[in-house]
Amino acid sequence: MAKILIVDDSSTVRDQVGEFLTENGLDFISAIDGKDGIVKLQGDPNIKLILSDVNMPNMDGLTMVEKIRNELGNSTVNIIMLTTESNPSMKERGKAAGVKGWIVKPFRGESVLTAIKKLIE
Amino acid sequence: MSDDLDLVSKVLILDNAVEHFDTIKQFCDENGLIGLRIHSNNVLRTLNSYVDLGGIFMAEDYAESLEKTIELASLIRKTRPELPIILRRKSDSSNVQSDNLAKCFVDSYTIDDLSPLRKFIDDYIFSIVYPNALIRGITEISVQSLQSQFKAQTVTANAPYIVRDRIIFGEVFSLIPLESNWCRGYMMLQTEESILDSLVVSDVGLQYSQTPFRELNNLLGEVTNLIWGSFKNRFINDDVDRANRSVTQVPLVINHQNKYISFGSENPQLCFKYTLLDEATGLFCSIYQWFIFNLDFTPELFEEIQTTVDDLIDSGELELF
Repeated sequence: MAKILIVDDSSTVRDQVGEFLTENGLDFISAIDGKDGIVKLQGDPNIKLILSDVNMPNMDGLTMVEKIRNELGNSTVNIIMLTTESNPSMKERGKAAGVKGWIVKPFRGESVLTAIKKLIE
Repeated sequence: MSDDLDLVSKVLILDNAVEHFDTIKQFCDENGLIGLRIHSNNVLRTLNSYVDLGGIFMAEDYAESLEKTIELASLIRKTRPELPIILRRKSDSSNVQSDNLAKCFVDSYTIDDLSPLRKFIDDYIFSIVYPNALIRGITEISVQSLQSQFKAQTVTANAPYIVRDRIIFGEVFSLIPLESNWCRGYMMLQTEESILDSLVVSDVGLQYSQTPFRELNNLLGEVTNLIWGSFKNRFINDDVDRANRSVTQVPLVINHQNKYISFGSENPQLCFKYTLLDEATGLFCSIYQWFIFNLDFTPELFEEIQTTVDDLIDSGELELF
């Protein structure tokens, strides 16, 4: 079963998104920052979509995306940024790194379902 | 003072002269001040609680004698040096040693000439011009952010106000730096843990997965993050040359025993108060938000970022690349 990886330093967001995914019958795991996100991705081949924050301690979300694409050579996992950032230059950086979509917080469940439908189902 | 949005400030009025109440009240009403009167026995106790003041008006006959009034003013200065005090004298020729006055009071006035009082509030309380778009924008984004996290409660904002106080409200606060070409400082959110806790657990179905205080910390952290993100998106142009921004920093000092925080600046601070009300139970919680532009504030460079039609993606909506 396809799994979703939530990467966010805020446990409030991890809980909110996780609860929503569970309610919709979706499987997920969580990571607390970009570094942890990479570790979790490497450890679970079922992860098909990553929902990641941008501003996080230790490693930010966009650096994580760049590492996933360039250093891990993983070009297949879908990545959506779920963040308070809406700066166009940051979105451009994400797009160039291989981000597939962008959701500006606060989190809204329908958008995540749309992303899942379009990208992994 | 901001041109047409109503910024207010609270002042402590230590003046027993009933015959002057109306004049002072009218001055307060006309100048965006909320006057608080308290009994002389309660002055120091009041000052040690959270009253978020902008300054103090004191009459020379407030205590039993002039000497006692000066003594009380000295105590206030020791307790709360950040609060400026102006003295009301009976007449210009009142016999008071000027050096004694200067130690405790920033200026004096008589009831027949309120111009020094006007100068006092201009110099010490409403000394910084805050753009209307900034004040309006902060209120909007903060209410939206709070409402997104407290869906079962009604969120309202009080009129923004100016404080010089450094006393922290409640037991839990968050701080996040604000960095731009027009401002450098912090945003702080403060609240009372037990009241926020009561409000959150009253939400149907909420179960703590961690110790309650950690959950509440995280919740306040997320609200802070949401407001900060919206603030950046609306008011901070990241394309402006970051290399030329100042890197100056000053230490923040926090005294837990006295619930005191210093940002190293004497400037008055821009404050907002939000109320989260649970209509069903009547429970409510106050959240105080301070904007402390202690490192730089250049309102001439302030601009509200104009988004293009292409950028107009509502928060929460998916934008696919």
